[in-house]
Amino acid sequence: MHFAWDPEQQAFRSTVQKFLAANLPPDWESLAHGPGSESQTVFSKSFCAKLAEAGLLVPHWPKRWGGRDADPWTAFILAEEMWQAGEPRGGQYMNVNWIGPTLMRYGTEEQQARYIPPMARGETLWCQGFSEPEAGSDLASLRTRAEKDGSIYRVNGQKIWTSYAGQADTCFLLARTSVGKNGISIFLVPMDTTGIIVRDIPSIIGEGDIHEVFWDNVEVPSSALLGAEGQAWEIIRIALSLERVGIPRFALAAKMLSRCVSMLKKSGRFGHGAVEQAARARGFCEAARFYSYSIVDQRQHGIQTGPEASAARFATVMAERAVADFIVEHVPEALSGGEPMLMAHYQRAIVAGIASGAAEIQLNLIATELLRLPREPR
Amino acid sequence: MDFRLTADQGDLVQAVDKLAEQFANKPTEFRGFALYGEELDKELENAQYFDIAQVPELGPLCAAMAVERLAQLPYAAETALSMLVRPQLSGDWPRPFAVVENGRPGRFVSKAATIIVIDDDDVALARPAAGDVEPVESLMAYPMGRLKSSVQRTKLPPEEATNVRKWLRVALAAEISGLLQAAVASTVDHLTQRKQFGRPLGTFQALRHRMAECAVLAGGVRWLALKAADSADAGDAALAASHAQESATRIAYDLHQMLGAMGMTLEHPLHLWTYRIKALLSELGGRGGQARAVGELCFG
Repeated sequence: MHFAWDPEQQAFRSTVQKFLAANLPPDWESLAHGPGSESQTVFSKSFCAKLAEAGLLVPHWPKRWGGRDADPWTAFILAEEMWQAGEPRGGQYMNVNWIGPTLMRYGTEEQQARYIPPMARGETLWCQGFSEPEAGSDLASLRTRAEKDGSIYRVNGQKIWTSYAGQADTCFLLARTSVGKNGISIFLVPMDTTGIIVRDIPSIIGEGDIHEVFWDNVEVPSSALLGAEGQAWEIIRIALSLERVGIPRFALAAKMLSRCVSMLKKSGRFGHGAVEQAARARGFCEAARFYSYSIVDQRQHGIQTGPEASAARFATVMAERAVADFIVEHVPEALSGGEPMLMAHYQRAIVAGIASGAAEIQLNLIATELLRLPREPR
Repeated sequence: MDFRLTADQGDLVQAVDKLAEQFANKPTEFRGFALYGEELDKELENAQYFDIAQVPELGPLCAAMAVERLAQLPYAAETALSMLVRPQLSGDWPRPFAVVENGRPGRFVSKAATIIVIDDDDVALARPAAGDVEPVESLMAYPMGRLKSSVQRTKLPPEEATNVRKWLRVALAAEISGLLQAAVASTVDHLTQRKQFGRPLGTFQALRHRMAECAVLAGGVRWLALKAADSADAGDAALAASHAQESATRIAYDLHQMLGAMGMTLEHPLHLWTYRIKALLSELGGRGGQARAVGELCFG
């Protein structure tokens, strides 16, 4: 065990930082309203294309798909630098982290040829059609139906809280093809298909992030089915395990905390109360960092990640909240026409405990699988 | 960065585990706070475990792993200062070690061969004679003692004093890490076995979630303690100690709450860990002291 970065890892981080310095415009921070915002989505198309040209969009993907088979540490260092820069890849981080790899594992040749190259070129944005009005944490109870009708499936239902749907080209859709948990299937559906209606939901987390998506007799070809009918649960378990520590939220939280402390120091306001709260928040950020690193280390060595990933998620929730609390208490001026990045971070601190599986689900997983407490009755 | 144990680290962890197994259970007849591990101390001394940090293949990281493993035992022995701070001192200072901070009683003081005396910004070393120290009754679950008189001290130069403070923080974090892990494990056992309303307590979500939060906090303390031991960075050490005291403050009451009346008895061992944790909350200036250090060292 050792905690120091290897020279190659340091060199790669430096390469990414230099790329960011050279390619983010001077007014980037005023554009960075969150990965779902229109400004960031538009910017991400040109930015991701440049990343792809520099070999920095999907370095951890196989050579066949435009990568160079780089290791999980490389992917995570890249993710850290991007997220703490305000995520200039916009919602495309999902392609890189889990949609692309999931298609590589479960997609047909036709699906792979159609969808993966545009992801590797940084040209496309996806959304995930998971949650429904009656199926949030209890995802297995989803009701959107995909009924076989000759050579097509006919999809009817409603998705909600769908991130990036307003800007997305394609949906990674979960729909029911029969009853029960094993009656859920995945479809890859272009968002311009007739019958899909997207409505933006104004939210406290900023513009363009969550939506309602209505599916009204949407005709989806059988070739859009990912894997087999009923295989969704298996596939998304693996996909979500990639996503659970996919976003290094602690990195931006730590950076924003340091920025706040600099502001306070400059104005002579880094007094006793602020010092104590800053130390507390920094502790949570660094604890979340090393929890997350431990998951990356498991991936690096081919170890199947277990409930520790849930612990990393919950540690990250603590970190984001601690930093948001610090901002609102000690640098409130940043939230009233002040710093765009601090405002964006503050708005999104609430997401860590909700997206990709609610924090309470993570706590249950930790209780059962890490602590081995007896399961609760159902 | 690589979190797999090297062969040497793995061997060390196994060996400490094996030694610790002999001391894994509280003697059933013991009903008190300070369960001193005299035999444990002797075994560690005989097998030269207090010199782990000086072995190049092992170093302070392994010493921190040993400290946190041994802190999980119901027996308290002076391991953290001897394993992590003593190797940093110039000159030969005999163990056991203890810290006396601003004249207050300290852990292991009545048994110490060397005392680290902290008076505000000054750090000094002293070798007390038998009459210089006395044991005191305490709720702290460590053998506590005080310095009776002003013993002769060797004041450390500022650079060495800073270094000693750094390693005291690593030692504090590693010890709290072990105590938290033991306290969490002990409470998990109770929640698994104890039934109310016809089912184990651990099936109730109100307790499961709090237990899981405690476990996440304890795990975070461990990561920061090990990182600080490996990096030997003063900021990392301050952050590890700060996060350890912060997390320990949150956890200690919760665990006793979950044990209910069983946790009030001296028969159950939980207090051996939680009341040691409480003893450590005030050390090195407490959370305020660590926060000042984090403020200076971690924010540029």
